[in-house]
Amino acid sequence: MVCVRLESYESAEHQQYVRTFLNGRFENSAFCILAPDGQEWLSRASRGPEQVLGRSGATAALHRYALMYPAKADSKDASVQDFHSFRQALNVASADQRVLVLINAPAGQEAKLRESLRAVANDKSVIGRFHFDFEQGSDWKANVTGSSNQPGIVLIHPGEFGMSGKVLKQLPLNAANDQIIATMRQANTQFAATTEKKVYSQHVAKGTREGIYFEGAVPYGEDRDGDGEIDHRGGGRGRGGVGGRGTSGRGTSGRGPSGRGPSGSQPRR
Amino acid sequence: MLRRFAVVFCLAALGGCVDAQGPRPSNLGASKLDLGEPGIQWYTTWESAEAEAKRSGRAIMFVAAATQCHGVSGVF
Repeated sequence: MVCVRLESYESAEHQQYVRTFLNGRFENSAFCILAPDGQEWLSRASRGPEQVLGRSGATAALHRYALMYPAKADSKDASVQDFHSFRQALNVASADQRVLVLINAPAGQEAKLRESLRAVANDKSVIGRFHFDFEQGSDWKANVTGSSNQPGIVLIHPGEFGMSGKVLKQLPLNAANDQIIATMRQANTQFAATTEKKVYSQHVAKGTREGIYFEGAVPYGEDRDGDGEIDHRGGGRGRGGVGGRGTSGRGTSGRGPSGRGPSGSQPRR
Repeated sequence: MLRRFAVVFCLAALGGCVDAQGPRPSNLGASKLDLGEPGIQWYTTWESAEAEAKRSGRAIMFVAAATQCHGVSGVF
Protein backbone atom coordinates (compact mmCIF):
# COMPACT_ATOMS: atom_id res chain seq x y z
CA MET A 1 0.00 0.00 0.00
CA VAL A 2 1.23 3.51 -0.77
CA CYS A 3 1.05 5.55 2.41
CA VAL A 4 0.71 9.30 2.04
CA ARG A 5 0.59 11.66 4.96
CA LEU A 6 0.00 15.33 4.32
CA GLU A 7 0.46 18.07 6.88
CA SER A 8 -2.96 19.60 7.29
CA TYR A 9 -1.76 23.15 7.83
CA GLU A 10 1.05 23.17 5.27
CA SER A 11 -0.97 24.87 2.56
CA ALA A 12 -4.43 25.86 1.44
CA GLU A 13 -4.35 22.94 -0.97
CA HIS A 14 -3.79 20.49 1.85
CA GLN A 15 -6.59 22.06 3.82
CA GLN A 16 -8.83 21.58 0.81
CA TYR A 17 -7.90 17.92 0.54
CA VAL A 18 -9.02 17.46 4.13
CA ARG A 19 -12.28 19.23 3.38
CA THR A 20 -13.00 16.96 0.44
CA PHE A 21 -12.59 13.92 2.68
CA LEU A 22 -14.61 15.39 5.55
CA ASN A 23 -17.61 16.69 3.64
CA GLY A 24 -16.51 20.28 3.65
CA ARG A 25 -15.36 20.36 7.27
CA PHE A 26 -11.78 21.04 8.20
CA GLU A 27 -10.36 19.15 11.13
CA ASN A 28 -6.73 18.61 11.80
CA SER A 29 -6.68 15.01 10.64
CA ALA A 30 -8.28 12.85 7.98
CA PHE A 31 -8.05 9.24 6.84
CA CYS A 32 -9.24 7.29 3.83
CA ILE A 33 -8.25 4.32 1.69
CA LEU A 34 -8.26 4.92 -2.05
CA ALA A 35 -7.76 2.86 -5.17
CA PRO A 36 -4.49 3.22 -7.07
CA ASP A 37 -6.09 5.76 -9.39
CA GLY A 38 -6.20 8.15 -6.46
CA GLN A 39 -9.85 8.83 -7.10
CA GLU A 40 -12.06 5.93 -6.07
CA TRP A 41 -12.59 5.67 -2.34
CA LEU A 42 -12.33 2.12 -1.08
CA SER A 43 -13.39 3.08 2.42
CA ARG A 44 -15.38 5.88 3.89
CA ALA A 45 -13.39 8.84 5.15
CA SER A 46 -13.15 10.18 8.64
CA ARG A 47 -10.64 11.68 11.03
CA GLY A 48 -8.52 8.63 11.67
CA PRO A 49 -8.08 4.89 11.16
CA GLU A 50 -10.09 4.00 14.25
CA GLN A 51 -13.13 5.83 12.97
CA VAL A 52 -12.85 4.26 9.53
CA LEU A 53 -11.63 0.75 10.30
CA GLY A 54 -12.71 0.28 13.90
CA ARG A 55 -10.59 -0.34 16.96
CA SER A 56 -10.14 -4.05 16.47
CA GLY A 57 -9.48 -5.67 13.16
CA ALA A 58 -8.04 -2.55 11.58
CA THR A 59 -4.77 -4.25 10.69
CA ALA A 60 -6.66 -7.08 9.06
CA ALA A 61 -8.78 -4.56 7.15
CA LEU A 62 -5.70 -2.78 5.87
CA HIS A 63 -4.26 -6.11 4.85
CA ARG A 64 -7.43 -6.90 2.88
CA TYR A 65 -7.25 -3.57 1.09
CA ALA A 66 -3.62 -4.20 0.24
CA LEU A 67 -4.47 -7.63 -1.14
CA MET A 68 -7.15 -6.12 -3.38
CA TYR A 69 -4.36 -4.35 -5.25
CA PRO A 70 -1.18 -6.39 -5.19
CA ALA A 71 1.87 -4.57 -6.45
CA LYS A 72 2.45 -4.91 -10.15
CA ALA A 73 5.85 -3.21 -10.08
CA ASP A 74 8.96 -3.81 -8.02
CA SER A 75 8.96 -1.93 -4.73
CA LYS A 76 12.72 -1.51 -5.07
CA ASP A 77 11.93 1.01 -7.80
CA ALA A 78 9.52 3.05 -5.69
CA SER A 79 10.15 6.75 -6.04
CA VAL A 80 12.05 8.56 -3.33
CA GLN A 81 10.04 10.68 -0.97
CA ASP A 82 10.29 14.46 -1.18
CA PHE A 83 8.76 17.45 0.59
CA HIS A 84 7.44 20.73 -0.73
CA SER A 85 9.93 22.61 1.40
CA PHE A 86 12.94 22.00 3.60
CA ARG A 87 11.12 23.76 6.40
CA GLN A 88 8.41 21.12 6.23
CA ALA A 89 10.93 18.30 5.89
CA LEU A 90 12.78 19.36 9.01
CA ASN A 91 9.61 19.65 11.05
CA VAL A 92 8.25 16.28 9.96
CA ALA A 93 11.59 14.57 10.54
CA SER A 94 11.61 16.07 14.01
CA ALA A 95 8.05 14.94 14.67
CA ASP A 96 8.79 11.40 13.52
CA GLN A 97 12.18 11.47 15.20
CA ARG A 98 14.03 10.34 12.11
CA VAL A 99 17.24 11.48 10.51
CA LEU A 100 16.58 13.71 7.53
CA VAL A 101 18.51 12.86 4.37
CA LEU A 102 18.80 16.04 2.35
CA ILE A 103 19.91 15.72 -1.24
CA ASN A 104 21.26 19.15 -1.99
CA ALA A 105 22.08 19.10 -5.69
CA PRO A 106 22.15 21.52 -8.60
CA ALA A 107 19.10 21.43 -10.84
CA GLY A 108 20.90 19.55 -13.56
CA GLN A 109 21.75 16.63 -11.31
CA GLU A 110 18.61 16.25 -9.27
CA ALA A 111 16.62 14.11 -11.69
CA LYS A 112 19.42 11.58 -12.01
CA LEU A 113 19.80 11.41 -8.25
CA ARG A 114 16.08 10.84 -7.79
CA GLU A 115 16.52 7.75 -9.96
CA SER A 116 19.78 6.46 -8.57
CA LEU A 117 18.73 6.88 -4.94
CA ARG A 118 15.69 4.66 -5.30
CA ALA A 119 17.85 1.69 -4.49
CA VAL A 120 19.05 3.45 -1.34
CA ALA A 121 15.67 4.63 -0.14
CA ASN A 122 14.10 1.21 -0.67
CA ASP A 123 16.91 -0.80 0.87
CA LYS A 124 15.50 -2.92 3.69
CA SER A 125 17.92 -1.43 6.20
CA VAL A 126 16.82 2.09 5.25
CA ILE A 127 13.15 2.04 4.43
CA GLY A 128 10.89 3.50 7.08
CA ARG A 129 13.77 4.84 9.15
CA PHE A 130 14.51 8.17 7.43
CA HIS A 131 12.92 11.07 5.69
CA PHE A 132 14.24 12.38 2.38
CA ASP A 133 14.15 15.82 0.86
CA PHE A 134 15.56 17.31 -2.33
CA GLU A 135 16.65 20.92 -2.28
CA GLN A 136 18.58 23.16 -4.61
CA GLY A 137 20.46 26.19 -3.43
CA SER A 138 21.53 26.95 0.09
CA ASP A 139 18.54 28.47 1.86
CA TRP A 140 18.22 25.33 3.96
CA LYS A 141 21.49 26.13 5.73
CA ALA A 142 20.02 29.08 7.59
CA ASN A 143 19.02 26.99 10.63
CA VAL A 144 21.31 24.00 10.24
CA THR A 145 24.72 23.88 11.85
CA GLY A 146 27.68 22.01 10.50
CA SER A 147 26.91 22.35 6.81
CA SER A 148 29.64 22.68 4.21
CA ASN A 149 29.83 24.88 1.16
CA GLN A 150 29.49 21.97 -1.22
CA PRO A 151 26.36 20.32 -2.50
CA GLY A 152 25.96 16.78 -1.29
CA ILE A 153 23.91 14.19 0.52
CA VAL A 154 23.49 15.65 3.97
CA LEU A 155 22.32 13.64 6.95
CA ILE A 156 20.66 15.97 9.44
CA HIS A 157 19.66 15.45 13.03
CA PRO A 158 16.47 17.51 13.33
CA GLY A 159 16.10 19.76 16.32
CA GLU A 160 13.60 19.08 19.05
CA PHE A 161 10.99 21.45 17.65
CA GLY A 162 11.76 20.95 14.00
CA MET A 163 13.04 24.46 13.43
CA SER A 164 16.74 23.71 13.42
CA GLY A 165 19.11 20.88 12.77
CA LYS A 166 22.70 19.78 12.81
CA VAL A 167 24.62 17.92 10.18
CA LEU A 168 25.64 14.43 11.22
CA LYS A 169 27.47 13.56 8.06
CA GLN A 170 27.77 14.75 4.49
CA LEU A 171 28.60 12.68 1.44
CA PRO A 172 29.42 13.82 -2.08
CA LEU A 173 26.69 13.51 -4.66
CA ASN A 174 28.62 10.83 -6.51
CA ALA A 175 29.01 8.58 -3.47
CA ALA A 176 28.26 4.95 -4.20
CA ASN A 177 24.95 3.60 -2.99
CA ASP A 178 26.50 1.09 -0.63
CA GLN A 179 28.55 3.84 0.97
CA ILE A 180 25.45 5.99 1.34
CA ILE A 181 23.54 3.11 2.95
CA ALA A 182 26.36 2.31 5.35
CA THR A 183 26.66 5.95 6.38
CA MET A 184 22.92 6.23 6.86
CA ARG A 185 22.87 3.15 9.06
CA GLN A 186 25.62 4.57 11.23
CA ALA A 187 23.83 7.91 11.47
CA ASN A 188 20.61 6.17 12.41
CA THR A 189 22.31 4.20 15.14
CA GLN A 190 23.99 7.34 16.45
CA PHE A 191 20.71 9.24 16.34
CA ALA A 192 18.79 6.54 18.18
CA ALA A 193 21.48 6.24 20.85
CA THR A 194 21.66 9.96 21.57
CA THR A 195 18.07 11.08 21.25
CA GLU A 196 15.38 10.88 23.86
CA LYS A 197 12.02 9.66 22.69
CA LYS A 198 9.47 12.43 22.78
CA VAL A 199 6.48 12.26 25.06
CA TYR A 200 3.72 14.19 23.37
CA SER A 201 2.31 15.95 26.39
CA GLN A 202 5.71 16.90 27.79
CA HIS A 203 6.88 18.12 24.40
CA VAL A 204 3.89 20.39 23.96
CA ALA A 205 4.16 21.68 27.51
CA LYS A 206 7.85 22.44 27.06
CA GLY A 207 7.29 24.11 23.74
CA THR A 208 4.57 26.25 25.23
CA ARG A 209 6.80 27.32 28.09
CA GLU A 210 9.59 28.20 25.68
CA GLY A 211 7.32 30.14 23.37
CA ILE A 212 7.78 27.84 20.41
CA TYR A 213 5.46 28.78 17.57
CA PHE A 214 5.52 27.27 14.10
CA GLU A 215 3.63 29.44 11.67
CA GLY A 216 1.39 27.43 9.38
CA ALA A 217 0.29 28.50 5.95
CA VAL A 218 -3.36 28.40 7.00
CA PRO A 219 -4.90 29.40 10.32
CA TYR A 220 -4.71 26.83 13.06
CA GLY A 221 -7.96 25.52 14.40
CA GLU A 222 -10.85 23.59 12.90
CA ASP A 223 -13.98 24.32 10.94
CA ARG A 224 -16.37 21.71 12.27
CA ASP A 225 -19.50 23.34 10.96
CA GLY A 226 -18.08 23.46 7.46
CA ASP A 227 -18.93 27.09 6.89
CA GLY A 228 -15.52 27.76 5.43
CA GLU A 229 -14.30 29.67 8.47
CA ILE A 230 -12.12 28.41 11.28
CA ASP A 231 -14.25 28.07 14.40
CA HIS A 232 -13.36 30.53 17.10
CA ARG A 233 -13.44 29.26 20.60
CA GLY A 234 -12.54 30.62 24.00
CA GLY A 235 -9.12 29.79 25.36
CA GLY A 236 -6.18 28.50 23.36
CA ARG A 237 -3.23 30.58 22.36
CA GLY A 238 -5.09 32.66 19.86
CA ARG A 239 -2.31 33.21 17.40
CA GLY A 240 -2.89 31.88 13.95
CA GLY A 241 -6.63 31.97 14.44
CA VAL A 242 -7.20 34.64 11.85
CA GLY A 243 -5.55 35.44 8.63
CA GLY A 244 -3.11 33.06 7.22
CA ARG A 245 0.31 34.34 7.91
CA GLY A 246 3.15 32.03 7.59
CA THR A 247 5.28 30.53 4.99
CA SER A 248 5.39 27.10 3.68
CA GLY A 249 8.40 27.38 1.44
CA ARG A 250 7.49 25.73 -1.83
CA GLY A 251 4.19 25.15 -0.22
CA THR A 252 1.90 25.17 -3.21
CA SER A 253 1.34 21.56 -3.75
CA GLY A 254 -0.07 21.48 -7.25
CA ARG A 255 -2.73 18.92 -8.04
CA GLY A 256 -4.39 17.28 -5.16
CA PRO A 257 -6.76 14.38 -4.79
CA SER A 258 -8.88 14.59 -7.91
CA GLY A 259 -12.16 16.40 -7.59
CA ARG A 260 -13.87 13.34 -9.00
CA GLY A 261 -12.79 10.88 -6.36
CA PRO A 262 -12.56 12.67 -3.07
CA SER A 263 -15.60 14.77 -3.80
CA GLY A 264 -17.88 11.82 -3.41
CA SER A 265 -17.06 8.52 -5.04
CA GLN A 266 -18.75 6.00 -2.82
CA PRO A 267 -16.70 3.10 -1.58
CA ARG A 268 -17.39 -0.28 -3.10
CA ARG A 269 -19.10 -2.67 -0.72
CA MET B 1 4.16 -4.91 6.10
CA LEU B 2 1.75 -5.62 8.92
CA ARG B 3 4.26 -4.37 11.45
CA ARG B 4 4.41 -1.14 9.58
CA PHE B 5 0.66 -0.89 9.65
CA ALA B 6 0.85 -1.13 13.42
CA VAL B 7 2.35 2.32 13.38
CA VAL B 8 -0.89 3.52 11.89
CA PHE B 9 -2.54 3.10 15.22
CA CYS B 10 -0.30 5.68 16.69
CA LEU B 11 -2.21 7.89 14.33
CA ALA B 12 -5.24 7.38 16.50
CA ALA B 13 -3.76 10.26 18.45
CA LEU B 14 -3.90 12.45 15.36
CA GLY B 15 -6.68 14.60 16.58
CA GLY B 16 -5.28 14.79 20.07
CA CYS B 17 -4.40 18.42 20.17
CA VAL B 18 -7.36 20.32 18.85
CA ASP B 19 -10.22 21.06 21.14
CA ALA B 20 -12.65 18.43 22.24
CA GLN B 21 -11.86 15.73 19.68
CA GLY B 22 -9.70 12.78 20.64
CA PRO B 23 -7.47 12.57 23.67
CA ARG B 24 -6.09 15.72 25.28
CA PRO B 25 -2.35 16.38 24.95
CA SER B 26 -1.93 15.62 28.63
CA ASN B 27 -3.16 12.10 27.95
CA LEU B 28 -0.81 11.35 25.10
CA GLY B 29 2.46 9.59 25.70
CA ALA B 30 5.32 8.37 23.57
CA SER B 31 5.31 6.38 20.38
CA LYS B 32 5.51 2.63 20.85
CA LEU B 33 8.12 2.50 18.11
CA ASP B 34 11.73 2.62 19.27
CA LEU B 35 13.93 5.28 17.74
CA GLY B 36 15.79 4.04 14.72
CA GLU B 37 13.34 1.25 14.07
CA PRO B 38 11.41 1.20 10.81
CA GLY B 39 8.01 2.78 10.64
CA ILE B 40 5.80 3.65 7.71
CA GLN B 41 7.63 4.99 4.67
CA TRP B 42 5.45 7.99 3.98
CA TYR B 43 4.99 9.95 0.85
CA THR B 44 4.52 13.55 1.92
CA THR B 45 3.06 15.12 -1.20
CA TRP B 46 -0.09 14.02 -2.95
CA GLU B 47 1.56 14.19 -6.38
CA SER B 48 4.31 11.76 -5.46
CA ALA B 49 1.95 9.33 -3.76
CA GLU B 50 -0.48 9.35 -6.66
CA ALA B 51 2.36 8.78 -9.12
CA GLU B 52 3.73 5.89 -7.11
CA ALA B 53 0.30 4.31 -6.71
CA LYS B 54 -0.24 4.43 -10.46
CA ARG B 55 3.22 3.03 -11.10
CA SER B 56 2.89 0.19 -8.66
CA GLY B 57 -0.83 -0.50 -8.83
CA ARG B 58 -1.08 -0.36 -5.03
CA ALA B 59 -3.93 1.10 -3.03
CA ILE B 60 -3.41 4.39 -1.20
CA MET B 61 -3.72 4.97 2.50
CA PHE B 62 -4.37 8.68 2.83
CA VAL B 63 -3.65 10.45 6.08
CA ALA B 64 -3.67 14.13 6.93
CA ALA B 65 -2.28 15.21 10.27
CA ALA B 66 -0.79 18.21 12.03
CA THR B 67 2.85 18.46 13.01
CA GLN B 68 2.09 20.95 15.68
CA CYS B 69 -0.13 21.37 18.68
CA HIS B 70 -1.26 24.92 19.39
CA GLY B 71 1.70 26.01 17.29
CA VAL B 72 4.27 23.88 19.09
CA SER B 73 5.99 22.04 16.28
CA GLY B 74 8.03 18.88 16.11
CA VAL B 75 5.32 16.46 17.08
CA PHE B 76 2.55 14.51 15.41
